[in-house]
Amino acid sequence: MASTACFIIVSRNDIPIYEAEVGSAAKREDAAQLHQFILHAALDVVQDLAWTTSAMFLKAIDRFNDLVVSVYVTAGHILSTCELICRWHKICIVPCYFCHRRKSNDTFLCIQYGLYASVR
Amino acid sequence: MDPANTLLGKMLLDEITPVVMVLSTPLVEEACLKNGLSFVEMLRPFCVFNNIDVPVRTVSDQPYRLQKFKLRLFSASDIREPNMEVAKERLKQVITQAGEKDDLCSDPPQTSKLLTSSGSEIQPSWFEFFNKELIQTVSFSDHEAFDHPVACLLVVSSKDEQPINRFVDLFNTNKLPSLLNDGAMDPKILKHYLLVHDNQDSTQAKAAKILTEMRNTFGLSDCQLLCINSSPTELVERQDNPWAPFKSDDSPSQRLGCFLNTDDVNEMKDLMQDLSSKHIIPCMEQKIRVLNQQVSATRKGFRNQIKNLWWRKGKEDAADFPNGPMYTFSSIESQIRVLGDYAFMLRDYEIALSNYRLISTDYKLDKAWKRYAGVQVFIAHSYFVGDDLVVNIMPRNETTHRIKLSCGKKAHGVMISLCIKEMMGLTFFMSDQSRKEAEYCMENAFNTYLKMGSSGQQNATRCGLWWVEMLKTGDQYKEAATVYFRICDEEPLHSAVMLEQASYCYLLSKPPMLRKLGFHLVISGDQYKKCGQIKHAIRTYRSAISVFEGTTWDHIKDHVHFHIGKWYAIFGMYDRAVKHMLEVLACSHQPKTTQELFLRDFLQIVEKTGETFELVKLQLPKLNLSSLKVVFEDHRTYASPAAATVRESLWRSLEEDMTPSLSTGRTNWLELQSTLISKNYRESTVCIAGEEVKVAIEFKNPLQIPIAISSVSLMCELSAVSDENKSDASSSTVELQNDDGLNNSTINRDMSSENSSFTLSEVDLSLEGGGTSLVQLTVTPKVEGILQIIGVRWKLSGSVVGLYNFDSNQMKKKIPKGRWKAHSPSDSLKFIVIKSVPRLEGSIHSLPEKAYAGDVRHIVLELRNQSESPVQNLKMKISHPRFLKIGNHENLRAEFPSCLEKKTVSEQSGVHASSNNLSQTVFLFPKDTLVQGETPLLWPLWFRAAVPGSFSLYITVYYEMGDISSVLKYRTLRMRYDLQVLPSLEVSFQISPCPSRLQEFLVRMDVVNSTSSHGFQVHQLSTVGHQWEISLLQPVNTAFPSQSLMAGQTLTCFFMLKSCRKSLTSKDEISTICPLLERDVRLGSEGSNGPLFDIRSSPLADFHHYERLQQGMSQQGDPNAVDFILISRPLESNITPGASDPSHGVASVRIGTFDSVNSADHLNDGTAVSSAYPSGDQAGWHDASIVDEIKVTSDVHGARVGKSLSLDSVPPFIWSGTSSTRIKLGPMSASEIPLQICVFSPGIYNLSNYALHWRLLTSDDSGDQEGTSQSSGTCQGYPYYLIVLQLT
Repeated sequence: MASTACFIIVSRNDIPIYEAEVGSAAKREDAAQLHQFILHAALDVVQDLAWTTSAMFLKAIDRFNDLVVSVYVTAGHILSTCELICRWHKICIVPCYFCHRRKSNDTFLCIQYGLYASVR
Repeated sequence: MDPANTLLGKMLLDEITPVVMVLSTPLVEEACLKNGLSFVEMLRPFCVFNNIDVPVRTVSDQPYRLQKFKLRLFSASDIREPNMEVAKERLKQVITQAGEKDDLCSDPPQTSKLLTSSGSEIQPSWFEFFNKELIQTVSFSDHEAFDHPVACLLVVSSKDEQPINRFVDLFNTNKLPSLLNDGAMDPKILKHYLLVHDNQDSTQAKAAKILTEMRNTFGLSDCQLLCINSSPTELVERQDNPWAPFKSDDSPSQRLGCFLNTDDVNEMKDLMQDLSSKHIIPCMEQKIRVLNQQVSATRKGFRNQIKNLWWRKGKEDAADFPNGPMYTFSSIESQIRVLGDYAFMLRDYEIALSNYRLISTDYKLDKAWKRYAGVQVFIAHSYFVGDDLVVNIMPRNETTHRIKLSCGKKAHGVMISLCIKEMMGLTFFMSDQSRKEAEYCMENAFNTYLKMGSSGQQNATRCGLWWVEMLKTGDQYKEAATVYFRICDEEPLHSAVMLEQASYCYLLSKPPMLRKLGFHLVISGDQYKKCGQIKHAIRTYRSAISVFEGTTWDHIKDHVHFHIGKWYAIFGMYDRAVKHMLEVLACSHQPKTTQELFLRDFLQIVEKTGETFELVKLQLPKLNLSSLKVVFEDHRTYASPAAATVRESLWRSLEEDMTPSLSTGRTNWLELQSTLISKNYRESTVCIAGEEVKVAIEFKNPLQIPIAISSVSLMCELSAVSDENKSDASSSTVELQNDDGLNNSTINRDMSSENSSFTLSEVDLSLEGGGTSLVQLTVTPKVEGILQIIGVRWKLSGSVVGLYNFDSNQMKKKIPKGRWKAHSPSDSLKFIVIKSVPRLEGSIHSLPEKAYAGDVRHIVLELRNQSESPVQNLKMKISHPRFLKIGNHENLRAEFPSCLEKKTVSEQSGVHASSNNLSQTVFLFPKDTLVQGETPLLWPLWFRAAVPGSFSLYITVYYEMGDISSVLKYRTLRMRYDLQVLPSLEVSFQISPCPSRLQEFLVRMDVVNSTSSHGFQVHQLSTVGHQWEISLLQPVNTAFPSQSLMAGQTLTCFFMLKSCRKSLTSKDEISTICPLLERDVRLGSEGSNGPLFDIRSSPLADFHHYERLQQGMSQQGDPNAVDFILISRPLESNITPGASDPSHGVASVRIGTFDSVNSADHLNDGTAVSSAYPSGDQAGWHDASIVDEIKVTSDVHGARVGKSLSLDSVPPFIWSGTSSTRIKLGPMSASEIPLQICVFSPGIYNLSNYALHWRLLTSDDSGDQEGTSQSSGTCQGYPYYLIVLQLT
C-alpha cells in the first residue's frame, strides 16, 4: 500500500523550519513543490481555525485531491505574541491507509511535539 | 438588496427571457447583409426594453407592470442544442483572444494592491463573457420551456415572388427546429408576419401593396412592414453604433448599419416594442391563464393530488422508457413546466415557484431526475428573484439544461428532476428570505449532476456557475471558491478558468486567503499550460509571485519562477525569462538533477538571446561579503601578501618609534599620522599610481554541480583630477570602465582597458560543487585621481556576466580590520590616487621556514627600489630580536660558520663593542644609505631559532623619499616571515658544590636529542662571564666516545666548574687574564670538529644577551650565576658511520654484566647490529639502566675509575637478574634488554661494568663500509652514573 507523507514544522511568519518526506510511494517528480504548495495553502485554513478551537490537533482541515492535511498547533498561538507554531501534516495517498493509521496520528504528533519542545 | 440588481439576478433577467424564432427568406438576409448584419443581428439591439411599461395581470387577477423586458431573437436554424465541439472551439477562441490582449510585459499586481481593489478590478473582464458562453453551451434543451420559442417571426422580402406563399412555405418547411417537430413543445405558437422592404431597390408602393395583401390573408394585426436601407448614397456615421456590442469580431464597426438612417432605426424600435408589448406579453399572459386553469383542474386540490399520487404509483412499473419518461407538450407535466417558465419570464415568481414545486414531486415520482434538477434550479431562482411576489424563473433554465445533458438512460430521468431542483434553488434565491433554501437546492442539484458523470457535466457547470454567483451575492466567497474548484472537469481549459476564478474568490473572501489564492493561481496556470494557453499561464503565475514573494518556501518559489522563465522564453522575451530564471539559480536545496536542469535551461535561454547578459542579481556563484578584504598601500607597503594580513595595530606598535608623526609627541589619539599627508587626502584612503590595490573576495558555489567562472575582475571607476582642490571631481571626467564593450568579448574589454586609466587583473576559476575559492583581484591605477572600486564582475559558463556592487548596506561588515577610519563604508573602496613615489621591495634570502631550535644562520636582507628616485634615511625594526639580529655591513660576505670562530684577541675586542647597541630597538642604517635604481641594498642579518614553536617574524623598514615634493614623505616596508622552530637538543644543568673545595663545583649536563630523526654533534660548551673556568671531568673520548647524538639519544657529561672570581677583582685584569682561563670545553675530538667558536663576539654574544633579557636577568646579573652555551652542529648524513645496506642480515647481540673489573671477562660472542647503530645500542642500555630506580650521590670520578675504587670494599652494588642475555637484532631495529642491580649503600655509582658482544650473522660483507669491517666486536658498557641517597 503505497503512501506518502510530508511533515513540516512551520514557525511564525510562515517560515518552514523543518521538512521531511516519508512514505513508501514512488516519489513524484514534483512532490517537493506540490507538498509545499498544499501545505502553504493550508496555512490559510489553519489561521482561521486555530483561533476557533482549543484543540491542538486539527485533523484533516484541508485537502487537495487525495492529499489530506492535518495540523498540530502548539499552545503558542494562544499567546498574543505569536510563538512558534508547530504544524504537522500527514498526507496520505490511500485513504484507508489513513484510517488504519489514524490512531497513531495523535500519538505521533504528541511525540513530535514533545521532541520539539525539548529541543527548544 | 434587490436580487434583480445582483450579478446573478442580472444574468437571469438577461438570459431567461422569451425566445422569438425568426424565419426569413434569403432575399431578406441579402438586403440586411449590405449593412454587414444578418436580419437577427440587425434587430437584436432593439430587443432590450428598459421601460416598456406593460400592464400584466397575474392568474389571480392582480395587476402589475413589467418595466424591463427582453426578447431573444434566434433564427430557426440556431434553435437546437449547440454542438459540443463547436462550443468548445468557441470557448477556446474566447480565451485565446483574451490572452492576446494581455500585456505580458506589465508588472504583476502586488498583493497589497490586490487587497485594496474591488473584485471587478481584479478579475479579468472576459471571465463574465466566458461564463456566459459556457452557460449557453447547454441552451435549447427540450425540457426547459424558457428556451422554447414563444413566437415566430416570419420575414419575407418585398422582392420575393409571391410573398404570401413564401410566408406559408416558411413555416411549413421541414427546417423547423426539432423542438417543434418532435413534440417537445406546442407547434401552434404565435406567428408574426413581417415584410422587409429595401428602399434602395424600389419605392415603397410595391411593398405597401404586398402588405395590404398580407393583411387580408393573415389578419390585420399580425402583419407589418419594415423598410430598411433608406440612406442610399451617403454612409451613416454614428457615434454609438448600437450593433457594435453585439458583434465581437473585428469587422470595423463603422460599416455596421451603414445604410440604415434614423428612420429605419426608429422603425425597427417601434416594431420590436410593438411585438413585445402588443403580441408576445399578452400572448404569454394568456397562455399562463389557460395553463393555470388546466393545471388547477387536474392537479390542484386534495382530490387531484391523491389521484395523481395513486396514478403515478401505478405507472411506476410500466414507465420504463430507455431515456426516462418523455413528456410531450400535451402532457400535464410539460404544461406545468411551461406554466412555471412563462411565469418566471413574466416575473410572476410566486406562481412559478408553486408550479415548480408541483412538478418536482411529479418528476421525483417519475424518476425523471434530470428534469427534477432543472426545476429545482428554477425554484431556487424564483426564490432569489422574487423580492416582492415576483419569483425569478431563471433557475428553471438551468435545470432544463441539466436535464438535457444527463440524458443517458436512467440518467435522463435523474437529470430532469435535478433541473427542477436547480430551478427551485434559483427561485428560492430570488426571493430574499429563503437564501438557505436556494443554496440547498443548488447544492443538491449540483451534487447530483456531478454524480451523474460526464453526461451531467455541462449542466453541473452551469448550475455551479449560478450557484457561485448566488454565494458571491451572499459574500460567501470561500464557499464560492470551493464550488469553482468543483466545477473543474476533464477539460483543462475550463478547469483553468474556473480555478483562476476560484483564486480570485479566495482573494475576495474575508479575511483574504492569499496563500490559497497563490496556490490556485498556480494550478490554474498549469492547466492553461496544458491546453497551450501559455500567455494565460504566465499571467496567473505572475499574479501568484506576489503571494510567494518574501517567503522561504523555496520549492514553491523555484517552481513558479522557473516556469515563468521558461514560458517567457517561448515567446522570445528573453530578458524577462532571464530575470525569472535568475531567481532559481542558487537553489542549493534542490536535488542535483534539478540544479542541473535549472542551470542548463538558464544557459540555453541566455544562449538563445545571442548576446551577453549583464546581470546584477546573478546568484551564481555567491559572494561571501564578509570575506572581502582590500589591501592597498599608501605609506604602508607590504613585501608579501602574508604581511598584509597582519593586524594593523601590530604594525603600528612596531613602527611607533620610527614614523615621525607618532614619535614626535602627538597630543591625542585623534591625530593620526595623516598630519603628514595634506588635508585633502585625510578623508579618504590613499593609494599610489602604478601600484596595485588588491581585493580578495570569496566565491562560493551553492550548487552541487561544478560551475566554470571566467574573467573575474573588479569594476572600478577612476575620475581623473586636474586640480589640487579636487574633492568633488566633476562627473564629466568619470570614466566608467564597465561601460566599455559591455557586450564584447573579454579580449576586447582588455584592449579597452589598456587605453584607460587603470588596469585590472582577470582570474578564471572553476568551482566544484559546494566549493569555495578565494579570488585575488587587483586594480592598478595609472593616473592620479579618485579611484572607486564599484564591484566585481564575472562570467558564468562563458555566457552570462554577473555583476556585484559592493556599495550596499552590508558593506559595514566587510571592511578589513584596522585599515579604515571612521568613514562611511563605501569610502573604504574609494581611493585618492596620488603621484607615483618610490617603493622599496624587500626580501630576506635563505631565511628557512623550518629550523631546529638553536639553529644559527647568516642571512641577507635585500632592499630594492625600482624607481629612479632615491629613498634615504632608512630605519629598521624587528619584532623578535631573539630570532633576528641585524649584523654589520662588514660581515655581509663573511663565511659562515668560520666567521664565528675564535680569532685573535684584538679582533674580538673590536666586535665586542657592538653589543652596546643592543638596547636600541630601532636599527638605523648609515646616514648615507641611498637605495635607488638597479642596485639593491644588501644587509647581513643573523638568525637564531631561539625557542621551539611557530613564530611570525615582523620586520618593518622605514624610509623617506628623496624627492621632498612628493605627497608622501615617508613609507614603511613591512615584511613578515613565518617560521617553524622544531625542538632539537634539550640541555639541562645541575650544579652541586664540591664537598672538598669551596671554589669548585660539579656540573652535570644532560643533553637530550628530542628531534625525531636528526642527529647532532656536540661541539663545545662555554661558560659566559669572566670568573668561571670549566673543564671536563674525564676525557672526551671516554665520556662521550661518539660525540654525536642520534635522535632520541641522551648524553650526560660531568664538568668541573671553578670560580676564579676571588682572585680577580678589577675588570682590567679580566680582560687580560680571561683568555687564559679555560672557558670553553671542546666536546668533540680535535681533528673532526675544527676550531672553537667565540661566544664573546657578535652575534653569539648578542643572542645570549637577548636570552638573558628574555629570562628577565640583567646584563650584569648575579655574579654567582653562570651561563653555559652549548654549541653543536648538525650531523651530516655522510658522517653517520655505517649507513650500510639495511638488508644486511640479522645480528646477534649478547650482553653480559660483571660486578668487578676482574670478573669482567668478556662473555659476549654476540654479533653487532647492522653498523648503522654503533652508538644506537647505547641508548638501549641507557634506557635499561634507568629502569633501576636508584638515586643520587657524589661519585665524581669517571667510569672505569669508579670501579677500581669499589674494589677495596664490598662492591656497593651488584648486578642481579640474568648475567648474560642473548638476543637477535634484525636490521634497522632496536631492542631493549632489562638489567637489574642491587644497591647496598648510598653513593654515586657508575653502571658501566658490562660489556656488549656483537657479531654479524651473515658474512656478506661486500657492501660494508668502514664501520662494518669487522663482523664481530665488543663494546664496553656506557658510563652511567647513578646517585643513591640514604633513606631517611
